[in-house]
Amino acid sequence: NSPAPLPERAIYGFALFLGSWFGFMLYLIWAYVPETWLFSLGLTYWPQKYWAVALPAYLLVAIGIGYILLFGINMMSTAPLNSTDTITDNYAKKQQQKKFQEEAIPALRDIPISEVNRMFFLPEK
Amino acid sequence: EERPFRSASGAALALRRRQHSASCRELAVRCPHLQLRSLSAATSAVWLAAYGLFVLTENSVVLSAAIFITLFGLIIYLHFVKIDQESLLVIGSLGIQVTSSYASGKESTTFIEMSQVKDVVINEAIHMQKVIYYLCILLQDPGDPQGVSEVVPLFQSSKPRLDCLIEVYKSCQEILAQRKTAPQSS
Repeated sequence: NSPAPLPERAIYGFALFLGSWFGFMLYLIWAYVPETWLFSLGLTYWPQKYWAVALPAYLLVAIGIGYILLFGINMMSTAPLNSTDTITDNYAKKQQQKKFQEEAIPALRDIPISEVNRMFFLPEK
Repeated sequence: EERPFRSASGAALALRRRQHSASCRELAVRCPHLQLRSLSAATSAVWLAAYGLFVLTENSVVLSAAIFITLFGLIIYLHFVKIDQESLLVIGSLGIQVTSSYASGKESTTFIEMSQVKDVVINEAIHMQKVIYYLCILLQDPGDPQGVSEVVPLFQSSKPRLDCLIEVYKSCQEILAQRKTAPQSS
């Protein structure tokens, strides 16, 4: 699963490059070439040219709203001050205590908030 | 004794500590009074907007409505929003009482029994766009001795800074520590 370059990835990349250039040229042709010329070539079933301007406009407004929406979603999913999610969660509640071994580094665990408070705020020295 | 502190937003607070007995302490945080300049600023803004509307619509009801809105708004703000003092009364064997007194004189009290109180801690959490320290009471979960069923945040309106919270925390812990050394069933 490394991000190193591979032959298959080079081929996918080139195919995407060609495809995006083709799509862009098609979009430009559809937006600029007059309808009569396209009809004379026999290509009659195109979407209205209104969409050549409307879709980019919609996209830009959607990106702008997306910034605000993401900010709002972040604020809404922040835990309120009176919820227990600010103190603990499922993993901390179900953690198992490893046996204390002499002269070994203690195992990593979630320390309860009461203990942390006592350590930070109580000692006078 | 009363000592000056600051709130999270920079307003000047005062913490008053009173020891009623060996196992009873009262800690009160006093918020600054409603400033005349902010009151006049709000009133002028509302009245200027109402005058602008009056010039546009030529309807004098807008002006009377603005006067009533200002008066009612001020009364509602003083009675429901502006908190004058928040106090914590810790009685060792009985419980903890949290009182908020509003600027209009209204007081709202909450009492929490000592058997329900697991601990009083200083927690930090994200509030709006800031990370603030706040004091909270952890309530015991009846089924699980290690679990916390509920978190009751204290000093929500005054939001004192960490130095003030440490003082309150130390005072509370001195009293809470007594119930472990001398457990009496009553």
